[in-house]
Amino acid sequence: LLWRWSAVALRRWPPCTSLSPYRVETALGLVILALAAVLAVAAPRFFEPANLADLVLANLPVLIAAVGATLVILTGEIDISVGSTFAVCSVVAGTLATIGAPVPAVALGTLAVGAAIGTVNGLLVAWLHIPSIVVTLAAMVALRDGLRWITEGAWVQNLPASFQWFGLTQQLYPTIAVGIAVLISALTAWTMRSTRAGRVVFATGSNAEAARLAAIDTAAVRLSVFALAGVFTAIAAIVNAVRFTQVPPNTGLGFEMKVIAAVVVGGAAITGGRGSIAGTVLGTALLGMSGPALTFLGASAYWERALQGGIILAAVAIQAITRTERAVRRAAGTSGVAI
Amino acid sequence: MSTARSRNSEAVLAAVLGVEIVVFSMVGEQFATIGNFFEISRLTVELGLLSLALTPIIVMGGIDLSVGSLMGLSAVMFGTALQDWRVSLPAAVAVAVSVGMTGGALNAAVIARFRVPPLIVTLGTMALFRGVAEGITEGARNFSGFPASFLAIGQGYFGGVVPAQLPILVVAAVAYALLLHRSVIGRAWYAIGLGEAGARYAGLPVARRVALAYLLAGAAAGLAAIIYAAHLGQARSDAGTGYELAAITAVVLGGASVTGGRGTIGGTMLGLAVVSVLTNGLQLAALPSELAGVLTGVVLVAAIALDPGTRRGRGRAATPELLEGETLVRNSQVAILCAAILAGAFLVAGTNVWMVRSLVSPAAGGSAQPASAGRRPVIAVMPKAKGDPYFVSCRLGAEEAARELGVDLIWDGPTGLDAARQNELVESWITRQVDAIAVSVENRAGISTVLRKARERGIKVLSWDADAEPDARDFFVNQATPEGIGRALIDEAAKLMNAEGDFAVVTGALSAANQNAWIAAIKPRLAANYPKMRLVTIRPSDDDRDKAFSETQTILRVHPGVKLVMAISAPAVPGAAEAVRQAGRRDVNVMGLSLPNMNKTYVHGGVVQKVILWNTTNLGYLTVLAAAKAADGTLAPGATSLAAGRLGAITVRGQEIVLGEPLVMDKGNIDQFDF
Repeated sequence: LLWRWSAVALRRWPPCTSLSPYRVETALGLVILALAAVLAVAAPRFFEPANLADLVLANLPVLIAAVGATLVILTGEIDISVGSTFAVCSVVAGTLATIGAPVPAVALGTLAVGAAIGTVNGLLVAWLHIPSIVVTLAAMVALRDGLRWITEGAWVQNLPASFQWFGLTQQLYPTIAVGIAVLISALTAWTMRSTRAGRVVFATGSNAEAARLAAIDTAAVRLSVFALAGVFTAIAAIVNAVRFTQVPPNTGLGFEMKVIAAVVVGGAAITGGRGSIAGTVLGTALLGMSGPALTFLGASAYWERALQGGIILAAVAIQAITRTERAVRRAAGTSGVAI
Repeated sequence: MSTARSRNSEAVLAAVLGVEIVVFSMVGEQFATIGNFFEISRLTVELGLLSLALTPIIVMGGIDLSVGSLMGLSAVMFGTALQDWRVSLPAAVAVAVSVGMTGGALNAAVIARFRVPPLIVTLGTMALFRGVAEGITEGARNFSGFPASFLAIGQGYFGGVVPAQLPILVVAAVAYALLLHRSVIGRAWYAIGLGEAGARYAGLPVARRVALAYLLAGAAAGLAAIIYAAHLGQARSDAGTGYELAAITAVVLGGASVTGGRGTIGGTMLGLAVVSVLTNGLQLAALPSELAGVLTGVVLVAAIALDPGTRRGRGRAATPELLEGETLVRNSQVAILCAAILAGAFLVAGTNVWMVRSLVSPAAGGSAQPASAGRRPVIAVMPKAKGDPYFVSCRLGAEEAARELGVDLIWDGPTGLDAARQNELVESWITRQVDAIAVSVENRAGISTVLRKARERGIKVLSWDADAEPDARDFFVNQATPEGIGRALIDEAAKLMNAEGDFAVVTGALSAANQNAWIAAIKPRLAANYPKMRLVTIRPSDDDRDKAFSETQTILRVHPGVKLVMAISAPAVPGAAEAVRQAGRRDVNVMGLSLPNMNKTYVHGGVVQKVILWNTTNLGYLTVLAAAKAADGTLAPGATSLAAGRLGAITVRGQEIVLGEPLVMDKGNIDQFDF
């Protein structure tokens, strides 16, 4: 009864109806505002500029990789090799820097590796028609263990001074990093909304067969989104690695879960065809602030993971309620239970 | 139609399994024995139960990522029921299974009632269940000391060879096979997987059938948790970590289509066998266990690519493109086949490299002594986690000792902290009949049973770094006691803080046994000797440098009065140091337990004041040396001293070989150490 009541209340609530195309983003924004309100009362120090800057900087890698993952999920596929790709790219960036490559070469080399991994995933998915969860599961395990085998766990040390913060100062670097992330997000968002390249991604994810009949090369679309996801993960790895002076090869464990959680909490349908970059940005923001917020509110570290799981479930449930009525009206579950 | 395809994929899989068995019979020692066959089956029971439960879910086109976490939660509730609530054993078992079913019911309700995609729901409940398990146990609590009659379920034998828990898996497999392939419910699952809307129009109660599969998965997770507890003799919140992905791998390898409508119980069992035989075979051939991951990935992709059923996009079968698709597939089949052959060649080549290396090493060692009867003694040493920099530095010393003594060294361990994998490796070493085993123990109660078994078979057993139960090993190579480390940490911290003010601790994982033992040693000494010092918070870093960095940033904001950060996991010290440095907080000291190399820049930069550790390279050296001497009889019970090569004479107290006092490294002496 409570469910029904809240569902009805949410549906009738002006923001949800008047902004119907953005109702997921709106709901998410409200959840973030609610959390912020609680923090403002209970722990105002959370909003110190320096703390917010730290938070933003810590979550930029997740955001950049999540933008790539959004593209993949929009086509109805999934990429769970993000964390392993992230680790491989970090180590490659570190190794290139130690052997004396200049900063642009390091960046290009790392991007090339990311693109190569993404392309292999994409080829297996698009041309051999192997389900993406299988391909990327295999890639996740193989890359992680391969990296461990080669590095034997040794950290990349003795990085040149030009590595940390790209050789810039600590004050200048955040501007650059935020600039990169904003540029990537904005450019991708614009491409998705306003160009043919963006529309074919939605078309492929909504109905691959219809897209194919409309002369869209769906195999090429799938291949490109995986390759792009690889490149974005490489950028994320660089942006993260340059904050430090050493590269540990076990970095990025569980990174894929953070990234996918950010995308799905951001309202993307795992079945493809629905989702937005704005949603992904908000999803990253919510998940990124929830951990530190719990610390500021004095929650015990032991219960933090349970609370975070609860937050994900709650965010997803709220979206589900705002959607359920539409879904029910629409021919009783054409998508429903499917991953 | 789907049956024909399934048979096809099962044939491919059976061929892969055949190849594996042939290859490993040739390169692995003691691989093709009845005993080894049953040991493999013992280790796969928990995973097998989860894989069985996932099969109908995947057949429906769903997924359940939460089974591993649910197993952890059920194990913890089982321990709580048995030891805190003092209920009887059958009641505790009932509690565990009903906790599993409750978790399954939560998944079922959200998925079937609210139609949220299962991937998202179970992603959320995966974090939720694990989090609740950690919350209940405060991460640290480890339930052990179960009655022997209970442990027999997980460690005993029927008729001397058949593991006691194997019949449970067999019964479960038969039950699931009947349910999926011979019942109306099973037909409904296939129908839902092939087309949910169609199933609904055909009058099937879709929501109820979907819910049933998730409910059963919950029950299976509960059952797996009980067997896990009986097998390892412990129940901890990290039980079943990563099992969900291993189980999905087995199911998908078994020919189930993740888009639904395809998959069989027989296929899943075959998939499970392929993965387990691969892991076991690699261990017996003394190949690094990382290779298992790489090869599992290759086999997974190859088996699926070779199977004509999987590639078909859903709903595309009727289009004219199918013909074109099939020719494309032939080419790619050839490509994939080549890749698989390459991988096989790679494996054999790897073995050769390994054998050549083991032949070369005595020559390099110089002072090689031929062992008795011309066979070089084999010393198997296990770290807690292979990739960890701490153990990597131990390995250097271990290899040095192996070269000097002319023994073969097998260095293998879990890739992350994983008690179950440790048992598995010891079992495979027993089968392989090595001369001595040295283990850095992750879980005392759990591993002692297999270590005792190794001693019964005449293998010398040592523990190092972290101890097993005293009667399960011949010697313990002890670097320093938890009390000694805790004392050194808090005393050095007190010196830096003039014994007053607030400090924070950044630990490893919240459930890490070593770190928890150190914290337990720090707290009473803090209360007794340093009343003006206050420990304000303990934060986890999960042995991840980046997480330690963020956690320290947060600590500095939430507790601005903190004067010192004590990081007690190797990657956490540089992480905390970088956070303090970037915050520009010159008034905050950083110290802790870590390795010299990764901290040198911070120590010289004045961010890190003290790094406490024993000489890890020497620890590895001493371990292999003691193991070799125990194996050839030079080091017998009752010895009081051990001639330890370059380390000189080392004192032996009873069964303990003590390395020495912890090192305290600072600006003055850190450059003398290179590890």
